[in-house]
Amino acid sequence: MYGLGIAKGLFATLRQLFRRPFTVQYPEEARQVPPRARTNLLWFDERCTGCSTCAQACPDGCILVVTSPREDGSLNKDRYEIDFRLCMFCGLCVEACPYEAIQSGGPFDDAVYVFDDMYRDKDALTRMAQVYLDSHDYTYPNGKNAPRPGELISLK
Amino acid sequence: MDDLEESLQQNLLITSVDHVLNWARRSSLWPVTFGLACCAIEMIATFAPRYDISRFGAEVMRPSPRQADFMMVSGTVTWKMAPVVRRLYLQMAEPKWVISMGSCANIGGPFAYGYSVLPGVRLIIPVDVYVPGCPPRPESLLQGLMLLQQKIDRLSISGEREREEPSGDFSQYLPPDDPVRKELESLFPPYPRDERSPEPERLAG
Repeated sequence: MYGLGIAKGLFATLRQLFRRPFTVQYPEEARQVPPRARTNLLWFDERCTGCSTCAQACPDGCILVVTSPREDGSLNKDRYEIDFRLCMFCGLCVEACPYEAIQSGGPFDDAVYVFDDMYRDKDALTRMAQVYLDSHDYTYPNGKNAPRPGELISLK
Repeated sequence: MDDLEESLQQNLLITSVDHVLNWARRSSLWPVTFGLACCAIEMIATFAPRYDISRFGAEVMRPSPRQADFMMVSGTVTWKMAPVVRRLYLQMAEPKWVISMGSCANIGGPFAYGYSVLPGVRLIIPVDVYVPGCPPRPESLLQGLMLLQQKIDRLSISGEREREEPSGDFSQYLPPDDPVRKELESLFPPYPRDERSPEPERLAG
């Protein structure tokens, strides 16, 4: 019969018309990302020992760690800075870190007006991590539990 | 211009015109059709229905920079591409804005110390919003667009605003006889006059 193909095609179009739109209304709702997606990096001060493995693994050299030894042999982190102007979010630091102190899964709203705001020092990174932990019921991006304020950390 | 600005600021009628104008400006941001590298793929994803940048009125990609309002520098700007980006920016009509998208456009990204890549698009054009990422997720780009809209909201009627203009000094990146450097420097003020064009006549008054 003549026109059957056109009717079939138009029916397919018509069916799409009544489907629920799948646009994610971004500022109001965010799309779920897979747990190991390479999104913004979060650094957790309480897990970091200052071993600088992340800085060695970084191909861009955008992680700066400055440490000084303490009396008991552990390291005091004088500076810990990530240059997000340079970072290419490859996640090699995440894979390298033996203590899971640096993890991807950070926030999306990281656009800035000022160029140097993308350079995050220890304070800025800690603030970012704290905002994440507060909004995610003290669970790390990899699903493990974070210590609540006042608790001691177990590196198990 | 300053006197005009001052007298405009005291005018109540103008302030409400400001509001309407800024609403129009920020709700119909038309970008230049312009994608340089892999960030452009993510930019296309932002234009696609899942993220749908047309919710912010910025979906009408203009084929000519003269019809566009803002430019998303999405990706690696090589030295060879740099004069073209600068020329496209100069061709856009005021008021115009620039979003620098991705680490490559911000500072050169993984190629920051390379010989062939411009270390940051802010060296050739004034940038309003920086979006970090490699490439940024569409959510980040939408966030950058929202920041830009907030910036446009603070604009006054004349469209004048303070911008940090790049210096146009490439002496620490390129040798003096480099053809790319010569072309780039010809795109910064004072602009060289075309020898073939007639002497410009002074306008009356």
